[in-house]
Parts: sequence; C-alpha cells; structure tokens
Amino acid sequence: MDPILSIKDVSLSLTGNAGPINILHNISFDVADGEILGLIGPSGSGKSSLLMILGGLERATSGTVLALGQDLTPMDEDALARFRRGNVGVVFQSFHLIPTLTALENVATPLELAGQGDAFDRAEAELVSVGLSARLHHYPAQMSGGEQQRVALARASAPRPRLILADEPTGNLDGQNGVQIMDLLFGLRDKHGATLVLVTHAPELAQRCDRVLSLKDGRLVGNDLKGAVA
Amino acid sequence: MIGLAWTFARRELRGGLKGFWIFILCLALGIGAIAAVGSVRMSLQNGLTSEGATILGGDAEMSFTYRFASDAEREFMARIAERISTTVDFRSMVVHTLPDGTTERGLTQVRGVDDLYPLFGEVVLEPALDLSMALADGGLVADQVLIDRMGLEIGDQVTLGTAQLELRAALVRFPDAAGSGFALGPRSLVSLDSLEGSGLLAPGTLFDSNYRLDLPVSTDLEALKAEALAAFRDTGLRWRDSRNGAPGVSRFVQQMGSFLVLVGLAGLAVGGIGISTAVRAYLESKISVIATLKTLGAETRLIGGIYLLQIGVLAALGISAGLMLGALLPLALEPFIASRLLIPLAIGIYPAPLLEAGFYGILTTLIFTLLPLARTAQIRASALYRETLDLGTKGLSRTAFLIIITLVAVLIAAATWFSGIPILALATAAGILGSLFLLTLSAQAIQWFARRNARVRWVRGLSALRLAFASIGAPGGGATSVVLSLGLGLTVLAAVGQVDANLRRAISQELPQAAPSYFFVDIQNSQLADFLDRVETDPGVTQVEHAPMLRGIITQINGQPARDIAGDHWVLRGDRGVTYSAEPPPNTTLTAGQWWAPDHTNSVEISFAAEEASEMGIGLGDILTVNILGRDIEGEITSLREVDFSSAGIGFILSMSPNALSGAPHTHIATVYAEESAEAGIVRDVTTVAPNITAIRVRDGIALVTEALSGLAAATSYGAGVTLLTGLIVLIGAAAAGERARIFEAAVLKTLGAGRFSILLSFMLRSAFVGVAAGVVAVAAAALAAWGIMTFVMESHYEFAALSAAMIIGGGGLLTVLTGLAFAWRPLSLRPLSTLRDKV
Repeated sequence: MDPILSIKDVSLSLTGNAGPINILHNISFDVADGEILGLIGPSGSGKSSLLMILGGLERATSGTVLALGQDLTPMDEDALARFRRGNVGVVFQSFHLIPTLTALENVATPLELAGQGDAFDRAEAELVSVGLSARLHHYPAQMSGGEQQRVALARASAPRPRLILADEPTGNLDGQNGVQIMDLLFGLRDKHGATLVLVTHAPELAQRCDRVLSLKDGRLVGNDLKGAVA
Repeated sequence: MIGLAWTFARRELRGGLKGFWIFILCLALGIGAIAAVGSVRMSLQNGLTSEGATILGGDAEMSFTYRFASDAEREFMARIAERISTTVDFRSMVVHTLPDGTTERGLTQVRGVDDLYPLFGEVVLEPALDLSMALADGGLVADQVLIDRMGLEIGDQVTLGTAQLELRAALVRFPDAAGSGFALGPRSLVSLDSLEGSGLLAPGTLFDSNYRLDLPVSTDLEALKAEALAAFRDTGLRWRDSRNGAPGVSRFVQQMGSFLVLVGLAGLAVGGIGISTAVRAYLESKISVIATLKTLGAETRLIGGIYLLQIGVLAALGISAGLMLGALLPLALEPFIASRLLIPLAIGIYPAPLLEAGFYGILTTLIFTLLPLARTAQIRASALYRETLDLGTKGLSRTAFLIIITLVAVLIAAATWFSGIPILALATAAGILGSLFLLTLSAQAIQWFARRNARVRWVRGLSALRLAFASIGAPGGGATSVVLSLGLGLTVLAAVGQVDANLRRAISQELPQAAPSYFFVDIQNSQLADFLDRVETDPGVTQVEHAPMLRGIITQINGQPARDIAGDHWVLRGDRGVTYSAEPPPNTTLTAGQWWAPDHTNSVEISFAAEEASEMGIGLGDILTVNILGRDIEGEITSLREVDFSSAGIGFILSMSPNALSGAPHTHIATVYAEESAEAGIVRDVTTVAPNITAIRVRDGIALVTEALSGLAAATSYGAGVTLLTGLIVLIGAAAAGERARIFEAAVLKTLGAGRFSILLSFMLRSAFVGVAAGVVAVAAAALAAWGIMTFVMESHYEFAALSAAMIIGGGGLLTVLTGLAFAWRPLSLRPLSTLRDKV
C-alpha cells in the first residue's frame, strides 16, 4: 500500500536577523495510512517545523513532500490552504482557538470553509463526542485549558481529515487533562481511521505511538525508537 | 465567498469597537468638517439664489455708469416692469462742521434712493424709523461705523457735496447689501431728491445709476436680458438679474468653500494616518486568528474579505457619524453664521455636499486601510508556532500598490472636479502628498538621529535622555505616526501663519512706503488747476500725479464679443478706468510698440497693460471696442506698457490717444504723496473749496484689505485647526496604544533602581523631542510653501516669520508632552512586581 505521507531529502532554512539558520537537514521518511507516528527530540531540534512541513503550514527549502498523493512542494499558500481543507487537521500546544468565536463556531469553521451545509450540526456532534455538550456556546476565555484543547481536537477532527497533526497537544495541560486528550486523540484512528503524526516530549504519549522518530539538530537520528523511549 | 466572509466578519465584530474609537473619530471628524463646509457653502449659494431678487434689489437691474437712463431705455423698462426703483451709487465725503468751526470729514459710499426703494426686503434703522420718513426733507442714514468715526449724533447737520443733510438714524441692515459690491467707505442712504443740486451727479462725475425692476412673475429672464442687450447694445448698459444677484459674492462663496474643502482634505489625510495605525494595530492583534484560519483552509482572498468587510462596517459608522456632524453642525451654528454674514442663508440638509464628503471618506478609508490589509496576505499559517507579532514591513504586492495608486488618483480627480478650481486642488494634493513624503523621510531621519545619539559617549550618565533616544530610535518607536499625524496639521497651520505674516508685512510696511497718502477723485476740469496749486505748493507733499479719468467697458476685440476672445478675464468684468494722454506719463516703460505722436489726430490708438494683454491673448494691432459714456470707441493697440498695481499708484489698463476722449465730459484722478502731518490740511482745504471732490485715504483702503485678509486667514486657520485636532486624536491614540509598553518599561526600570522622576523625565523628553521635531519639519515645509506663494502668486518677497514658527514648534512640543503626560501616570503608579508577574 502507498504511504499517506512521503518526504524525501527535506531541508528547511530560515533567514533571521543574524543570517540564515538551518532548521532541518535532508530528512526522508514515509508514514503509512492509519499509522500513529511520534516525533521526539530536544527543544530546537526541528520537530515542530517538520510537523508543519507535513501539513503544508511551512514550505521546505528543498526536497519533496508528498501527502495523500499530492506534491505539496510547488503549491502556493492558497493551494496549501485548499489542500488542508478536509485533508489535514492540526492541533497545537496552545490551542489557537479563535477568541471571538464560541466553541461551536470554532469547530464549525473548517466545515464552513469546506462548504459543508450541515457545518453546525456536525460541529455540535463533534463537541458532544469530546464531552463538551454543555459548552457549545462558551467562548474560549470562558473555558479551562483542557476544555479548550478538546474544542481544538473537535475542530481538527470534525471534517474527518485523513491526516491529523498534533504539536505537543498535552504540553499545556495537567496530567488528568493530558490523559483525556491523549485518549481522544488516539481514538480518532480507531473511530475514523485517521493517520496521526504527533510531536511530544511525553514518554507515555510516545509509548502509545506505532512508531517514533527522533530528531537532533535538525537531523533524523533514530527511526522507530519506540523501545528507546519506553 | 462574500457570504462566508460576511459570516466570519459579523462574528468577529461581536467583540465590539474596542480599539476603534480613533478610527471612527478620525473619519467622523475629517468627513464632518468637509461636509459642514460643503453644507454651509450650499446654504449660502442657495440663499443667494432663492433670495436673488432681494440681494439684487429687484428681479432685474439695468445699470449705467456716468449717466441716467435715456428716454428710450426708460420706455423699455416701463414696458416690461410693473415697478421701477431708481438708485444711484457713488463715493463722496460727508463733512460735519463742529461748533468751533472745525470740520470732520469721512469717506462714504452713498446710495441715492427713490420712494420705492427697497423693492424687496426692508431696511432696518436704529432708531427704528420708516426709511421714507428718515430720508424725507434732507434726511440721511449712515452706517454706525461712519457715525462713530466722525463722532456724529442723531440730528447733526452734515454736508454731502453742497447738499445740507440731517443725520436721522444709523443704517443697521439693508436688503441689497450683498449685491452692492465692494465699498471703500461705510454706507449711507439719502433720497435722490436731496442730491439734486449737490454737484455730485454732474456730467463726467463718477456715479452709477441702477434701475431695479419688479417684473411679472412669468417673465423669462434670459429672453428679457437678450432683448435688452440687443436693443441697447452700444449704450454701456449692464444687466443683472435675480438668477445671480451677487455674482462676485457667489464666486467668492464657491471658491472659498472649495478651498476650505481642500484644507479639510488635509484633515482627512491626517485622519487616514490614524485609520491606518488603528487598522494595523487591529490586524496585528488578529495575526493568530488569521494564521488559524489559514491552517483551517481559508484562502488569502477570503481573509482579505473578512477584514475588509469589518473595516467597511466601522467605516460606515465613522462616515455616518461624520455626515451627521456635517449636516447638523451648520443647523446648530446658523445664528452664529447668519450674524457674521451679510448674505442670506438657506440652511438645510443638502445631499450633494454630504455625498461629496462621504465619497472622500470611502476613498480615504480604502487608501489607508489597504496598506495594512494588503500585508495580511504575507501572514502565513506558520505564524502560529513562530509567534510572529507584527505585520512586517515587506513591500506591497504590485496589485495592492496599483490599487492604492489608482484610488489616490481617483481621490485627486474627484477633489479637482468637485472644487471647480483645478489648479488649487492639484496644488493642494501635491502639497499634502509632498508633506506626507517629507514628514515620512523626516521621521526616519529623527529615528536615525535618536538611535545614533543613544549610543554616543556624551549621553552616558544622562540616563533619562539616553533612554528617550533609545526609545525613539528603536524599531516600532512610534516616531513616524506622531510626526505624520501632528506634522501635517502643523504644516497647514504654519503655512497659514507664514503667508499671513508676510501678507500683513507687505501690506502694512511695504505698501504704505511706496503708496500715495490719498487718492482724489471726481476733480472737475475747472477745478484741476486750483487743486494742483494747493497740493503742489504744500511743503509736506513729495509727489503729485494726476490723470484724466473715465470709465469704460471693453465690449469687443477685433469685432468679436470680448469674452469670446479673452474668456472671463477680470479686465472684462464690469467697467475699468480709462485715461488719455498726449505723451507717455513719467516713468512709463513700453515693452512693445510706439507711443502715439503728441499731435496725433487720425484713428484712435491704445496703449494696453502688457501683463494683462498677455493673459488675455491680445497684442499690438488688435482692435478694441470700448464703450465709454454709452458711446463705442474703436482703437488699435499700438503699444504695450508695464503697469505696476502693487504700489497702489495710478495704474490704468487702458490709455488712449487724446483725440478719442479729450472732448468727452470727464473728471481727473490724482494721487498725492504727503507726510502724514500734512494730510488732514490738504483734505480739508481741497474738499472745502470743491465739496464734490472725494478723498480716499490709502491707509483706510489698506485697513479694509487687511481686515478681509484676516477673515480669510481665520477661515483657513479653522480648517487647519480641524486637521490639527484630528492629528491630536491620532496622537492620543498612539500614546494610548503605547501605554502597555511604557508600563512594562517603567516596571523594568523601577526594578533596576530608576526613580519615578527620571522615568517621567525620560517619557517627557521623548515626547518633547518628537513633537518639536514634527514642528521643525512642519515649519520648514510651510516656509517652502509660503515662499512659493509669496514669490510666484503674490509677486512679493518672502521673509521667514520667526514668531509664528516659534509658536508652531512650541505648540508641537507642548501637544506631545501633554499627551505623553496623560498616558504616563499609569506606568508610573503601578507597582513593578504586579506588572512583571502579570506581564500586563
């Protein structure tokens, strides 16, 4: 079976005030459909940047990124945005909910952008499924961190994307809320068959992944290190 | 896509207008000022139109210079009009003999009226008398200014020419004041009967006779005008009718209104800076939302649409508020405006000026909004994890740049079209754009200077100053928005100050040195020798010039109607002074052609003012037809000469060979240059011997011009005041936006051991430095503009007005310091620990 994600020789350089900074160096790997892949590594190793490249939020300086059979490398910002609609869901460590929208509106947003007529019904069902039926009309500022992350998770999964990317999804949460989010996240593969790529520092989260890649100084230093993080 | 954009825009707007009060205020104020000026202009123009008959004194007026209407003309008027009121207008001297035998003399613009005057409206007198009663049996009513100037009291006997009159009342208001034209002296009214035998309406003396016609309601004015002008084509007849009762006033109102609208556009441009700053700050607060939307699949166009719609709603609020302000302000100020003007006001809500102001508002909002809005296209989804906090300063896309340039061009074209004075509109646009460019460059220079000086050795140890320099020079130091917002308002105000000071200097210092003390007019041929004998033998007199004077209208050029050839040139508006002389007067400089021979007897030859000839497109060999005393005189231009009107001496546009005019009844004009101490004696002697001679004091004329200029400067200053007020709002907005940073800065400095006084000093120094710098740049730009106006428009010379400049620079510094102080209190009062713990 063809991999859902395939990246070859991907490098990323960014230009800062002090000159160019090389973030990633010739990274190559594949992700199988339905796989849960963990990305680990010390701070500044390039994990988040790599995750963003996989979702088309960042563009690689060189190399190719094939996602769901499409080459993301030549796409401009708008083409990448269209690609993400319905194909990619993203969960951030700091939630990034839109503060002026209620929980329901936040979740409905990607569905509306994808032109779904039943956006609000589906959004409500999604929020119910993450246990937030009582919080539909609350604004982000009126919810706890755990609740906000559940809204973010519902927003990422509502369009039923085939690929979900999560950047340290439990990084800002306490233990109990972290476990709850992990359960919900991993349940997405079981319920909807989504492929999951997540960046984490948490060993227990890495342990639950099918496979774990390790980065250091922008280079892939280990493949399938699940045993190593145990 | 618009539906989706509107859905998202609406949801975001639920957050309220927080942070947008500057945006709305700037827009409302700029548009309000333009709409108010436009509404007042429209009210005045409508007043002039609807009250045309009252202002003119009749449905139509037929006027003649030097003479009354002929029998044929009277018959024509009797045929077409239901009522005819006859008036005459001329300047003369009122003389009051005091009990001790001394005399007081005052120049007055006299209107002799018949029993029917006024046909429309009413004359208001103090005490409240009926006009016919007041003027009966040698009565006179006069403007309070003349009464005060001469120390008269009701019941005093005065003479006008040789007529003995009694002052019966003060003239408070008369209905045809606005249509009466420019008067050198205060008004007085007498009955025509009283003027008989006064010697003031003798052949050759300068007076206008006006016949005001009360016409049947259904009269076709255009047809009647054509008929009158055809019937009396060569008689010097002038026709005015109620469609435009006061053309000069109407033109002035139109042009002054347009000019003030253009000044208002400068205010809107300053408001635009506030709009741009507010939108930029708002969009910067929305970067994570924009990046989130992009992450969720929103395209650039959709995001642009979402924020454009939000800004559109806010702009609609600001524009609506401005239009309401512009529509209601004239209504509220009606009593004030009406009391200051002689022109009838038809105050109301007029759609046209509101539409014009709204159109400017929409364009300004778009121009200043698209700049930050276009930068949202550069926000990438990756901003979410890179924590990018600003919109960046990357160059605009070519499309965005072209759209903005197009909108600016449309705005300038609209202003040019609406104003009706294209050159001034284009000059104003160039001035505003040039000033903005200069101010932007200056702001960068100020930042560079501050950054550089923050590091030099001499400021070490002067921590308040070093912090101030460092703060101004740092990226996002805010100097640009302060210099731009304050600078443009100060520039307009400084330019008004510089031009006003220079004009006053030119009028009060330069002109009197070069100008004569007195003009004497209406000197009869028989009086000339005695007059010259009196003035030329006076030791206080340094120079006397005199010339025969008639008045004439140039009706044709080379057989064609003059206006078809030379357009609406001022020389063709109404009648002009005409003279003749056998030889060129002393100091005459011919620029082309030859003066006629002293004994020239053949065809009529004309010497014409060179500059005006060039403006009118005429020159040597052209044939002019000039109507003088109802007779057409044809003459060929055989020479052009320099005529300098700036010295206020005798300057005739037209001089003819003597064979054309010497036989016609005419009077003489003379200018007398005398020491001030000799002036009173000369006037007394001359007008005692010849009461018909009118003496016009040049200093009084200058005072009138200075007063008129004061009015213009004040009106322009009000316009500039709105610009400055808008700038102040932008300044307050910038200070408010920077408060959070200052709170944090103060907390850190306090933690490091800085006292509150040194922190306050640092805040004040940075405010003062930027404010003073904005003032200096404004004065420099204004000096350049004033130099251009004085040199090229006024043809005078420019002197830097230091007092005005100092006030502008000081004012700039004071405004920024006060604004800074208002927003320094909180940073100084908060405890550092709570600030740093909460990160504000």
